[in-house]
Amino acid sequence: MAAAPPIEVRGLTKRFGSTTAVADLSFAIPPGRITGFLGPNGAGKTTTLRALLGLVRPTSGDALVNGVPYRKLADPARTVGAVLEASSFHPGRSGRNHLRVLAAAAAIPQARVGEVLEDVELAGAGGRRVGGYSLGMRQRLSVAGALLGSPRLLVLDEPANGLDPEGIRWLRNFLRSFADEGGTVFISSHVLAEVAQLADEVVIIHRSRLIAHEPLETLTARAAGGTVVRSPDAERLRQGLAEAGVEAAAGDGGSLRVAAEPEQVGEVAAAAGVVLHELRREEASLEEVFLELTAEEPK
Amino acid sequence: MTRLVHAELLKLRTTRLLLWLALMIVALIGLIVSLNGGERSFDDLARASSQRDLITTAAISALIALILGIVVSTAEYAHGTIGGTFLVSPVRERVVAAKVFAAMLSGAVLAAFAWALALALAAVWLAVRSVPSHLLSHDIFTLLLGLLAASALTGAIGVGFGAILRRQTAAIVVALVWLLVGEPLMAVAGKQRYAPGHVVVAVAEAGHQASGGDLLAFWPALLLGLGYAALFAVAGTLVVVRSDVT
Repeated sequence: MAAAPPIEVRGLTKRFGSTTAVADLSFAIPPGRITGFLGPNGAGKTTTLRALLGLVRPTSGDALVNGVPYRKLADPARTVGAVLEASSFHPGRSGRNHLRVLAAAAAIPQARVGEVLEDVELAGAGGRRVGGYSLGMRQRLSVAGALLGSPRLLVLDEPANGLDPEGIRWLRNFLRSFADEGGTVFISSHVLAEVAQLADEVVIIHRSRLIAHEPLETLTARAAGGTVVRSPDAERLRQGLAEAGVEAAAGDGGSLRVAAEPEQVGEVAAAAGVVLHELRREEASLEEVFLELTAEEPK
Repeated sequence: MTRLVHAELLKLRTTRLLLWLALMIVALIGLIVSLNGGERSFDDLARASSQRDLITTAAISALIALILGIVVSTAEYAHGTIGGTFLVSPVRERVVAAKVFAAMLSGAVLAAFAWALALALAAVWLAVRSVPSHLLSHDIFTLLLGLLAASALTGAIGVGFGAILRRQTAAIVVALVWLLVGEPLMAVAGKQRYAPGHVVVAVAEAGHQASGGDLLAFWPALLLGLGYAALFAVAGTLVVVRSDVT
Protein backbone atom coordinates (compact mmCIF):
# COMPACT_ATOMS: atom_id res chain seq x y z
CA MET A 1 0.00 0.00 0.00
CA ALA A 2 1.32 3.43 -0.92
CA ALA A 3 2.13 5.78 1.92
CA ALA A 4 -0.60 8.28 2.72
CA PRO A 5 0.02 11.81 1.42
CA PRO A 6 1.33 14.25 4.07
CA ILE A 7 -1.90 16.20 3.81
CA GLU A 8 -5.22 15.00 2.49
CA VAL A 9 -8.54 16.80 2.66
CA ARG A 10 -11.60 14.75 1.67
CA GLY A 11 -15.00 16.33 1.21
CA LEU A 12 -14.28 18.81 4.00
CA THR A 13 -17.19 21.02 4.95
CA LYS A 14 -17.23 23.38 7.90
CA ARG A 15 -20.15 25.57 8.88
CA PHE A 16 -20.14 28.15 11.68
CA GLY A 17 -23.82 28.65 12.37
CA SER A 18 -25.37 29.63 9.06
CA THR A 19 -22.01 30.60 7.52
CA THR A 20 -20.28 28.00 5.37
CA ALA A 21 -16.52 28.53 5.73
CA VAL A 22 -15.46 25.50 3.66
CA ALA A 23 -17.67 23.55 1.26
CA ASP A 24 -16.90 20.00 0.13
CA LEU A 25 -13.18 20.65 -0.29
CA SER A 26 -10.93 17.83 -1.49
CA PHE A 27 -7.23 17.82 -2.33
CA ALA A 28 -4.02 16.05 -1.38
CA ILE A 29 -0.54 17.47 -1.38
CA PRO A 30 2.56 15.50 -2.34
CA PRO A 31 5.61 15.00 -0.10
CA GLY A 32 8.89 16.89 -0.54
CA ARG A 33 7.35 19.88 -2.24
CA ILE A 34 6.17 23.37 -1.36
CA THR A 35 2.47 23.75 -1.99
CA GLY A 36 0.92 27.19 -1.84
CA PHE A 37 -2.61 27.46 -0.50
CA LEU A 38 -4.15 30.52 -2.08
CA GLY A 39 -7.37 32.39 -1.80
CA PRO A 40 -8.56 35.86 -0.93
CA ASN A 41 -9.18 36.80 2.69
CA GLY A 42 -12.23 34.94 3.91
CA ALA A 43 -11.99 32.17 1.31
CA GLY A 44 -11.72 29.46 3.98
CA LYS A 45 -7.95 28.90 4.07
CA THR A 46 -7.54 29.36 7.81
CA THR A 47 -10.55 27.18 8.58
CA THR A 48 -9.16 24.43 6.34
CA LEU A 49 -5.75 24.60 8.02
CA ARG A 50 -7.30 24.62 11.47
CA ALA A 51 -9.42 21.59 10.61
CA LEU A 52 -6.25 19.91 9.40
CA LEU A 53 -4.52 20.71 12.69
CA GLY A 54 -7.38 19.44 14.84
CA LEU A 55 -8.33 22.90 16.13
CA VAL A 56 -11.67 23.02 14.33
CA ARG A 57 -14.10 20.08 14.09
CA PRO A 58 -15.27 19.46 10.52
CA THR A 59 -19.02 19.55 9.99
CA SER A 60 -18.44 16.69 7.56
CA GLY A 61 -15.55 15.16 5.67
CA ASP A 62 -11.98 14.53 6.76
CA ALA A 63 -8.78 16.49 7.09
CA LEU A 64 -5.88 14.08 7.47
CA VAL A 65 -2.18 14.31 8.23
CA ASN A 66 -0.22 11.25 7.09
CA GLY A 67 -3.56 9.50 6.66
CA VAL A 68 -4.95 10.09 10.16
CA PRO A 69 -6.78 12.93 11.91
CA TYR A 70 -4.37 15.23 13.77
CA ARG A 71 -5.77 14.18 17.13
CA LYS A 72 -4.73 10.57 16.43
CA LEU A 73 -1.09 11.40 15.61
CA ALA A 74 1.20 9.53 17.98
CA ASP A 75 3.67 12.40 18.30
CA PRO A 76 2.21 15.54 16.71
CA ALA A 77 5.08 17.92 17.49
CA ARG A 78 7.54 15.59 15.79
CA THR A 79 5.22 15.08 12.81
CA VAL A 80 3.89 18.53 11.94
CA GLY A 81 5.24 21.99 12.63
CA ALA A 82 2.53 24.64 12.42
CA VAL A 83 2.76 28.40 12.30
CA LEU A 84 -0.54 30.08 13.19
CA GLU A 85 -1.00 33.83 13.67
CA ALA A 86 1.91 35.91 14.89
CA SER A 87 0.09 37.15 17.96
CA SER A 88 -0.27 33.80 19.72
CA PHE A 89 2.09 34.46 22.60
CA HIS A 90 1.83 35.50 26.20
CA PRO A 91 3.36 39.00 26.05
CA GLY A 92 4.91 38.65 29.50
CA ARG A 93 6.80 35.44 28.72
CA SER A 94 10.22 35.46 27.08
CA GLY A 95 10.70 33.86 23.68
CA ARG A 96 12.93 31.20 25.19
CA ASN A 97 10.40 30.37 27.90
CA HIS A 98 7.61 30.17 25.33
CA LEU A 99 9.62 27.47 23.56
CA ARG A 100 10.54 25.77 26.85
CA VAL A 101 6.84 25.37 27.63
CA LEU A 102 6.15 23.79 24.23
CA ALA A 103 9.21 21.54 24.56
CA ALA A 104 8.11 20.42 28.03
CA ALA A 105 4.61 19.56 26.79
CA ALA A 106 6.00 17.59 23.83
CA ALA A 107 8.76 15.88 25.86
CA ILE A 108 11.39 17.46 23.62
CA PRO A 109 14.82 17.96 25.26
CA GLN A 110 15.27 21.55 26.49
CA ALA A 111 18.58 21.76 24.60
CA ARG A 112 16.56 21.85 21.40
CA VAL A 113 15.18 25.28 22.42
CA GLY A 114 18.60 26.90 21.97
CA GLU A 115 19.06 25.17 18.63
CA VAL A 116 15.80 26.40 17.09
CA LEU A 117 16.41 29.93 18.41
CA GLU A 118 19.73 29.81 16.51
CA ASP A 119 17.97 28.43 13.43
CA VAL A 120 15.60 31.41 13.27
CA GLU A 121 18.32 33.90 14.23
CA LEU A 122 16.65 34.85 17.51
CA ALA A 123 19.27 33.53 19.95
CA GLY A 124 20.17 37.05 21.11
CA ALA A 125 16.57 38.02 21.83
CA GLY A 126 15.46 34.75 23.43
CA GLY A 127 15.60 36.15 26.95
CA ARG A 128 13.43 39.16 26.19
CA ARG A 129 9.67 39.28 26.73
CA VAL A 130 7.65 38.61 23.60
CA GLY A 131 5.62 41.77 24.27
CA GLY A 132 8.64 43.76 23.11
CA TYR A 133 9.19 41.74 19.93
CA SER A 134 8.57 43.15 16.46
CA LEU A 135 6.09 41.36 14.22
CA GLY A 136 8.99 39.82 12.31
CA MET A 137 10.56 38.49 15.51
CA ARG A 138 7.22 37.00 16.61
CA GLN A 139 6.92 35.29 13.25
CA ARG A 140 10.41 33.84 13.62
CA LEU A 141 9.49 32.65 17.11
CA SER A 142 6.44 30.94 15.63
CA VAL A 143 8.67 29.20 13.12
CA ALA A 144 11.05 28.21 15.94
CA GLY A 145 8.12 26.62 17.78
CA ALA A 146 7.15 24.72 14.64
CA LEU A 147 10.70 23.37 14.29
CA LEU A 148 11.09 22.17 17.89
CA GLY A 149 10.17 18.57 17.12
CA SER A 150 12.18 18.49 13.84
CA PRO A 151 9.04 17.62 11.83
CA ARG A 152 9.08 16.71 8.15
CA LEU A 153 5.92 18.68 7.42
CA LEU A 154 5.39 22.41 7.94
CA VAL A 155 1.98 24.06 7.79
CA LEU A 156 2.05 27.85 7.73
CA ASP A 157 -0.93 30.20 7.80
CA GLU A 158 -0.16 33.56 6.15
CA PRO A 159 3.38 33.58 7.60
CA ALA A 160 4.45 36.63 5.58
CA ASN A 161 1.66 38.84 6.96
CA GLY A 162 3.27 41.97 8.37
CA LEU A 163 6.83 40.85 7.60
CA ASP A 164 9.23 43.38 6.17
CA PRO A 165 10.99 42.56 2.87
CA GLU A 166 14.03 41.21 4.72
CA GLY A 167 11.82 38.96 6.82
CA ILE A 168 10.01 37.69 3.74
CA ARG A 169 13.32 36.89 2.06
CA TRP A 170 14.52 35.11 5.17
CA LEU A 171 11.32 33.04 5.31
CA ARG A 172 11.51 32.19 1.62
CA ASN A 173 15.13 31.02 1.86
CA PHE A 174 14.36 29.11 4.99
CA LEU A 175 11.39 27.22 3.51
CA ARG A 176 13.26 26.54 0.27
CA SER A 177 16.14 24.89 2.13
CA PHE A 178 13.65 22.96 4.29
CA ALA A 179 12.01 21.57 1.14
CA ASP A 180 15.38 20.93 -0.52
CA GLU A 181 16.22 18.66 2.39
CA GLY A 182 13.10 16.63 1.66
CA GLY A 183 10.59 18.43 3.87
CA THR A 184 7.03 19.14 2.82
CA VAL A 185 5.62 22.66 3.12
CA PHE A 186 1.98 23.76 2.93
CA ILE A 187 1.77 27.52 3.05
CA SER A 188 -1.29 29.71 2.82
CA SER A 189 -1.36 33.23 1.47
CA HIS A 190 -3.71 35.71 -0.11
CA VAL A 191 -0.87 37.23 -2.13
CA LEU A 192 0.04 35.27 -5.25
CA ALA A 193 3.35 37.10 -5.77
CA GLU A 194 4.50 35.95 -2.33
CA VAL A 195 3.94 32.31 -3.13
CA ALA A 196 4.95 32.56 -6.79
CA GLN A 197 8.64 32.73 -5.91
CA LEU A 198 8.43 29.76 -3.60
CA ALA A 199 5.78 27.20 -4.40
CA ASP A 200 6.06 24.19 -6.68
CA GLU A 201 2.32 23.87 -6.92
CA VAL A 202 -0.75 25.69 -5.73
CA VAL A 203 -4.16 24.88 -4.32
CA ILE A 204 -6.60 27.75 -4.83
CA ILE A 205 -9.88 28.18 -3.04
CA HIS A 206 -12.44 30.87 -3.52
CA ARG A 207 -15.72 31.35 -1.71
CA SER A 208 -15.12 28.19 0.33
CA ARG A 209 -14.56 25.97 -2.74
CA LEU A 210 -11.58 24.53 -4.59
CA ILE A 211 -11.09 26.24 -7.94
CA ALA A 212 -7.65 25.00 -8.95
CA HIS A 213 -4.92 22.59 -7.90
CA GLU A 214 -2.03 22.62 -10.32
CA PRO A 215 1.69 23.26 -10.76
CA LEU A 216 2.65 26.90 -10.43
CA GLU A 217 3.91 27.15 -14.03
CA THR A 218 0.52 26.14 -15.38
CA LEU A 219 -1.18 28.72 -13.23
CA THR A 220 1.13 31.59 -14.08
CA ALA A 221 0.99 30.73 -17.77
CA ARG A 222 -2.78 30.90 -17.57
CA ALA A 223 -2.72 34.13 -15.65
CA ALA A 224 0.06 35.82 -17.63
CA GLY A 225 -0.35 39.54 -17.54
CA GLY A 226 1.01 42.09 -19.98
CA THR A 227 3.89 44.50 -19.77
CA VAL A 228 4.18 47.85 -18.05
CA VAL A 229 6.41 50.35 -19.80
CA ARG A 230 7.20 53.95 -18.88
CA SER A 231 8.73 56.47 -21.21
CA PRO A 232 9.06 60.27 -21.43
CA ASP A 233 7.79 59.83 -24.99
CA ALA A 234 4.90 57.49 -24.29
CA GLU A 235 2.72 58.68 -27.11
CA ARG A 236 5.34 57.91 -29.77
CA LEU A 237 5.89 54.50 -28.23
CA ARG A 238 2.17 53.85 -28.28
CA GLN A 239 2.06 54.67 -31.99
CA GLY A 240 5.04 52.41 -32.64
CA LEU A 241 3.31 49.59 -30.77
CA ALA A 242 0.08 50.20 -32.69
CA GLU A 243 2.01 49.91 -35.95
CA ALA A 244 3.37 46.59 -34.73
CA GLY A 245 -0.21 45.50 -34.09
CA VAL A 246 0.05 45.65 -30.28
CA GLU A 247 -2.56 47.42 -28.16
CA ALA A 248 -1.39 49.74 -25.40
CA ALA A 249 -3.41 51.67 -22.86
CA ALA A 250 -2.11 54.88 -21.31
CA GLY A 251 -1.58 54.81 -17.52
CA ASP A 252 -0.28 57.37 -15.02
CA GLY A 253 2.92 59.40 -15.44
CA GLY A 254 3.83 58.35 -18.97
CA SER A 255 3.30 54.65 -18.40
CA LEU A 256 1.60 52.25 -20.77
CA ARG A 257 0.05 48.85 -20.14
CA VAL A 258 0.80 46.71 -23.14
CA ALA A 259 -0.70 43.38 -24.11
CA ALA A 260 2.61 41.86 -25.19
CA GLU A 261 5.81 40.34 -23.80
CA PRO A 262 8.47 42.79 -22.45
CA GLU A 263 10.91 41.59 -25.13
CA GLN A 264 8.60 42.67 -27.93
CA VAL A 265 7.90 46.03 -26.32
CA GLY A 266 11.63 46.65 -25.86
CA GLU A 267 12.32 45.81 -29.48
CA VAL A 268 9.59 48.18 -30.71
CA ALA A 269 10.97 50.94 -28.47
CA ALA A 270 14.52 50.41 -29.75
CA ALA A 271 13.36 50.45 -33.37
CA ALA A 272 11.44 53.69 -32.76
CA GLY A 273 14.35 55.23 -30.85
CA VAL A 274 12.20 55.86 -27.77
CA VAL A 275 13.90 56.18 -24.37
CA LEU A 276 12.47 53.88 -21.69
CA HIS A 277 12.50 54.56 -17.95
CA GLU A 278 10.85 51.33 -16.96
CA LEU A 279 10.07 48.01 -18.58
CA ARG A 280 8.63 45.11 -16.60
CA ARG A 281 6.28 42.22 -16.81
CA GLU A 282 3.00 43.03 -15.13
CA GLU A 283 2.48 40.57 -12.30
CA ALA A 284 -0.85 38.92 -12.35
CA SER A 285 -2.63 39.68 -9.11
CA LEU A 286 -4.44 36.94 -7.32
CA GLU A 287 -7.68 38.74 -8.04
CA GLU A 288 -6.97 38.60 -11.77
CA VAL A 289 -6.16 34.92 -11.55
CA PHE A 290 -9.41 34.39 -9.73
CA LEU A 291 -11.37 36.29 -12.31
CA GLU A 292 -9.81 34.19 -15.01
CA LEU A 293 -10.26 30.91 -13.17
CA THR A 294 -13.78 31.59 -12.01
CA ALA A 295 -14.72 32.74 -15.49
CA GLU A 296 -13.67 29.31 -16.76
CA GLU A 297 -15.65 27.47 -14.14
CA PRO A 298 -18.95 26.29 -15.53
CA LYS A 299 -21.65 27.27 -13.07
CA MET B 1 0.40 13.37 31.60
CA THR B 2 3.36 14.28 33.85
CA ARG B 3 4.93 16.30 31.03
CA LEU B 4 1.72 18.27 30.54
CA VAL B 5 1.52 19.11 34.26
CA HIS B 6 5.19 20.09 34.09
CA ALA B 7 4.41 22.35 31.09
CA GLU B 8 1.49 23.96 32.94
CA LEU B 9 3.64 24.63 36.00
CA LEU B 10 6.32 26.07 33.73
CA LYS B 11 3.70 28.38 32.19
CA LEU B 12 2.89 29.63 35.69
CA ARG B 13 6.52 30.10 36.63
CA THR B 14 7.40 32.03 33.48
CA THR B 15 4.87 34.86 33.90
CA ARG B 16 4.26 37.25 36.80
CA LEU B 17 0.81 35.87 37.66
CA LEU B 18 1.93 34.03 40.81
CA LEU B 19 3.91 37.06 41.93
CA TRP B 20 0.88 39.32 41.61
CA LEU B 21 -1.36 36.85 43.41
CA ALA B 22 1.21 36.49 46.21
CA LEU B 23 1.33 40.28 46.51
CA MET B 24 -2.47 40.36 46.81
CA ILE B 25 -2.21 37.83 49.63
CA VAL B 26 0.47 39.90 51.36
CA ALA B 27 -1.64 43.06 51.09
CA LEU B 28 -4.91 41.47 52.27
CA ILE B 29 -3.48 39.38 55.07
CA GLY B 30 -1.15 42.18 56.14
CA LEU B 31 -4.10 44.52 56.42
CA ILE B 32 -6.52 42.20 58.18
CA VAL B 33 -4.05 40.66 60.66
CA SER B 34 -2.61 44.06 61.50
CA LEU B 35 -6.04 45.62 62.06
CA ASN B 36 -7.08 42.76 64.34
CA GLY B 37 -3.73 42.43 66.04
CA GLY B 38 -3.60 46.13 66.73
CA GLU B 39 -7.18 46.82 67.73
CA ARG B 40 -8.37 43.81 69.70
CA SER B 41 -8.10 44.06 73.46
CA PHE B 42 -5.32 42.26 75.33
CA ASP B 43 -7.77 39.80 76.89
CA ASP B 44 -9.44 39.06 73.59
CA LEU B 45 -6.14 38.53 71.84
CA ALA B 46 -4.85 36.29 74.62
CA ARG B 47 -7.55 33.68 73.82
CA ALA B 48 -6.41 30.73 71.73
CA SER B 49 -9.56 30.98 69.60
CA SER B 50 -8.82 34.64 68.78
CA GLN B 51 -5.30 33.79 67.76
CA ARG B 52 -6.69 31.03 65.60
CA ASP B 53 -9.04 33.57 64.01
CA LEU B 54 -6.03 35.66 63.04
CA ILE B 55 -4.51 32.73 61.16
CA THR B 56 -7.87 31.88 59.60
CA THR B 57 -7.38 35.12 57.65
CA ALA B 58 -5.16 32.96 55.43
CA ALA B 59 -8.37 31.45 54.02
CA ILE B 60 -8.27 34.39 51.61
CA SER B 61 -5.83 32.15 49.70
CA ALA B 62 -8.82 30.01 48.65
CA LEU B 63 -10.32 33.00 46.85
CA ILE B 64 -6.96 33.86 45.28
CA ALA B 65 -6.60 30.21 44.20
CA LEU B 66 -10.03 30.42 42.55
CA ILE B 67 -8.83 33.40 40.51
CA LEU B 68 -5.60 31.52 39.76
CA GLY B 69 -7.56 28.53 38.44
CA ILE B 70 -9.75 30.75 36.28
CA VAL B 71 -6.70 32.49 34.82
CA VAL B 72 -4.90 29.17 34.21
CA SER B 73 -7.89 28.15 32.04
CA THR B 74 -8.75 31.44 30.37
CA ALA B 75 -5.39 33.20 29.85
CA GLU B 76 -4.59 30.87 26.97
CA TYR B 77 -7.77 31.93 25.21
CA ALA B 78 -7.11 35.60 26.00
CA HIS B 79 -3.60 35.47 24.54
CA GLY B 80 -4.39 33.01 21.74
CA THR B 81 -1.83 30.49 22.98
CA ILE B 82 -4.46 27.77 23.32
CA GLY B 83 -4.00 26.86 19.64
CA GLY B 84 -0.29 26.19 20.19
CA THR B 85 -1.08 24.19 23.33
CA PHE B 86 -3.55 21.95 21.46
CA LEU B 87 -1.10 21.50 18.57
CA VAL B 88 1.40 19.95 20.95
CA SER B 89 -1.24 18.02 22.93
CA PRO B 90 -4.30 17.54 20.71
CA VAL B 91 -6.05 15.32 23.25
CA ARG B 92 -7.69 18.24 25.04
CA GLU B 93 -9.01 16.22 28.00
CA ARG B 94 -5.40 15.75 29.08
CA VAL B 95 -4.68 19.46 28.80
CA VAL B 96 -7.62 20.35 31.06
CA ALA B 97 -6.63 17.61 33.53
CA ALA B 98 -3.06 18.96 33.60
CA LYS B 99 -4.38 22.46 34.25
CA VAL B 100 -6.53 21.12 37.12
CA PHE B 101 -3.50 19.44 38.73
CA ALA B 102 -1.28 22.48 38.23
CA ALA B 103 -3.90 24.83 39.71
CA MET B 104 -4.50 22.51 42.70
CA LEU B 105 -0.79 22.34 43.39
CA SER B 106 -0.29 26.09 42.97
CA GLY B 107 -3.38 26.79 45.08
CA ALA B 108 -1.92 24.66 47.87
CA VAL B 109 1.39 26.53 47.61
CA LEU B 110 -0.44 29.87 47.88
CA ALA B 111 -2.31 28.54 50.92
CA ALA B 112 0.92 27.48 52.63
CA PHE B 113 2.40 30.90 51.89
CA ALA B 114 -0.69 32.67 53.24
CA TRP B 115 -0.69 30.53 56.40
CA ALA B 116 3.01 31.13 57.07
CA LEU B 117 2.57 34.85 56.45
CA ALA B 118 -0.44 35.13 58.76
CA LEU B 119 1.41 33.14 61.41
CA ALA B 120 4.49 35.37 61.20
CA LEU B 121 2.46 38.58 61.33
CA ALA B 122 0.37 37.32 64.22
CA ALA B 123 3.54 36.32 66.11
CA VAL B 124 4.92 39.81 65.60
CA TRP B 125 1.74 41.47 66.93
CA LEU B 126 1.56 39.16 69.93
CA ALA B 127 5.21 39.87 70.74
CA VAL B 128 4.76 43.60 70.28
CA ARG B 129 1.78 43.63 72.63
CA SER B 130 3.37 41.06 74.99
CA VAL B 131 0.40 38.71 74.62
CA PRO B 132 1.12 35.03 75.46
CA SER B 133 1.17 33.02 72.23
CA HIS B 134 -0.89 29.92 71.47
CA LEU B 135 0.27 29.95 67.86
CA LEU B 136 2.21 26.70 67.96
CA SER B 137 -0.87 24.69 68.91
CA HIS B 138 -2.29 21.61 67.21
CA ASP B 139 -5.25 23.69 66.01
CA ILE B 140 -3.09 26.04 64.00
CA PHE B 141 -1.47 23.12 62.17
CA THR B 142 -4.84 21.48 61.53
CA LEU B 143 -5.87 24.78 60.05
CA LEU B 144 -2.95 24.55 57.59
CA LEU B 145 -4.30 21.23 56.31
CA GLY B 146 -7.75 22.74 55.88
CA LEU B 147 -6.32 25.70 53.98
CA LEU B 148 -4.26 23.48 51.71
CA ALA B 149 -7.32 21.39 50.86
CA ALA B 150 -9.59 24.42 50.37
CA SER B 151 -7.21 26.25 48.05
CA ALA B 152 -6.51 23.11 46.04
CA LEU B 153 -10.28 22.68 45.65
CA THR B 154 -10.88 26.26 44.54
CA GLY B 155 -7.94 26.02 42.12
CA ALA B 156 -9.61 23.01 40.50
CA ILE B 157 -13.06 24.64 40.53
CA GLY B 158 -11.53 27.77 38.94
CA VAL B 159 -10.01 25.78 36.07
CA GLY B 160 -13.30 24.01 35.38
CA PHE B 161 -15.36 27.16 35.63
CA GLY B 162 -12.87 29.11 33.47
CA ALA B 163 -12.98 26.34 30.87
CA ILE B 164 -16.78 26.58 30.72
CA LEU B 165 -16.79 30.34 30.06
CA ARG B 166 -13.33 30.72 28.44
CA ARG B 167 -13.51 34.49 28.96
CA GLN B 168 -11.28 35.71 31.75
CA THR B 169 -13.00 38.84 32.97
CA ALA B 170 -16.47 37.35 32.62
CA ALA B 171 -15.45 34.23 34.56
CA ILE B 172 -13.92 36.21 37.43
CA VAL B 173 -16.88 38.60 37.61
CA VAL B 174 -19.46 35.80 37.54
CA ALA B 175 -17.56 33.90 40.26
CA LEU B 176 -17.40 36.98 42.51
CA VAL B 177 -21.05 37.84 41.91
CA TRP B 178 -21.96 34.29 42.85
CA LEU B 179 -20.01 34.54 46.10
CA LEU B 180 -21.41 37.96 46.98
CA VAL B 181 -25.00 37.55 45.78
CA GLY B 182 -25.70 33.92 44.86
CA GLU B 183 -24.61 32.35 48.13
CA PRO B 184 -26.46 34.87 50.34
CA LEU B 185 -29.58 34.13 48.28
CA MET B 186 -29.13 30.45 49.04
CA ALA B 187 -29.04 31.45 52.70
CA VAL B 188 -32.58 32.77 52.31
CA ALA B 189 -33.62 29.24 51.36
CA GLY B 190 -31.56 27.90 54.25
CA LYS B 191 -29.38 25.82 51.92
CA GLN B 192 -26.19 27.89 52.00
CA ARG B 193 -24.18 25.22 53.81
CA TYR B 194 -24.25 23.20 50.55
CA ALA B 195 -23.21 26.14 48.35
CA PRO B 196 -19.65 25.91 46.94
CA GLY B 197 -18.33 28.98 48.77
CA HIS B 198 -19.62 27.82 52.15
CA VAL B 199 -18.34 24.30 51.51
CA VAL B 200 -14.86 25.67 50.82
CA VAL B 201 -14.95 27.79 53.99
CA ALA B 202 -15.97 24.69 55.97
CA VAL B 203 -12.96 22.85 54.52
CA ALA B 204 -10.63 25.79 55.16
CA GLU B 205 -11.64 26.10 58.79
CA ALA B 206 -10.99 22.41 59.24
CA GLY B 207 -14.12 21.83 61.27
CA HIS B 208 -13.62 24.62 63.80
CA GLN B 209 -16.22 26.98 62.36
CA ALA B 210 -14.44 30.09 63.59
CA SER B 211 -16.86 32.16 61.56
CA GLY B 212 -19.70 30.79 63.64
CA GLY B 213 -21.78 30.18 60.55
CA ASP B 214 -23.93 27.24 59.69
CA LEU B 215 -21.32 25.10 57.97
CA LEU B 216 -20.88 21.44 57.19
CA ALA B 217 -18.38 19.39 59.19
CA PHE B 218 -14.92 19.00 57.61
CA TRP B 219 -15.25 15.57 56.00
CA PRO B 220 -18.70 16.02 54.42
CA ALA B 221 -17.53 19.44 53.24
CA LEU B 222 -14.38 17.97 51.72
CA LEU B 223 -16.38 15.28 49.92
CA LEU B 224 -18.90 17.77 48.58
CA GLY B 225 -16.05 20.12 47.60
CA LEU B 226 -14.40 17.32 45.64
CA GLY B 227 -17.77 16.69 44.00
CA TYR B 228 -18.03 20.33 42.94
CA ALA B 229 -14.44 20.31 41.63
CA ALA B 230 -15.13 17.14 39.61
CA LEU B 231 -18.41 18.55 38.28
CA PHE B 232 -16.82 21.80 37.08
CA ALA B 233 -13.78 20.00 35.67
CA VAL B 234 -15.92 17.53 33.68
CA ALA B 235 -18.26 20.26 32.40
CA GLY B 236 -15.27 22.45 31.46
CA THR B 237 -13.60 19.56 29.68
CA LEU B 238 -16.75 18.83 27.66
CA VAL B 239 -16.96 22.46 26.56
CA VAL B 240 -13.25 22.65 25.66
CA VAL B 241 -13.26 19.37 23.73
CA ARG B 242 -16.31 20.38 21.68
CA SER B 243 -15.32 23.96 20.94
CA ASP B 244 -13.50 25.18 17.84
CA VAL B 245 -10.30 27.16 18.25
CA THR B 246 -10.68 29.85 15.60
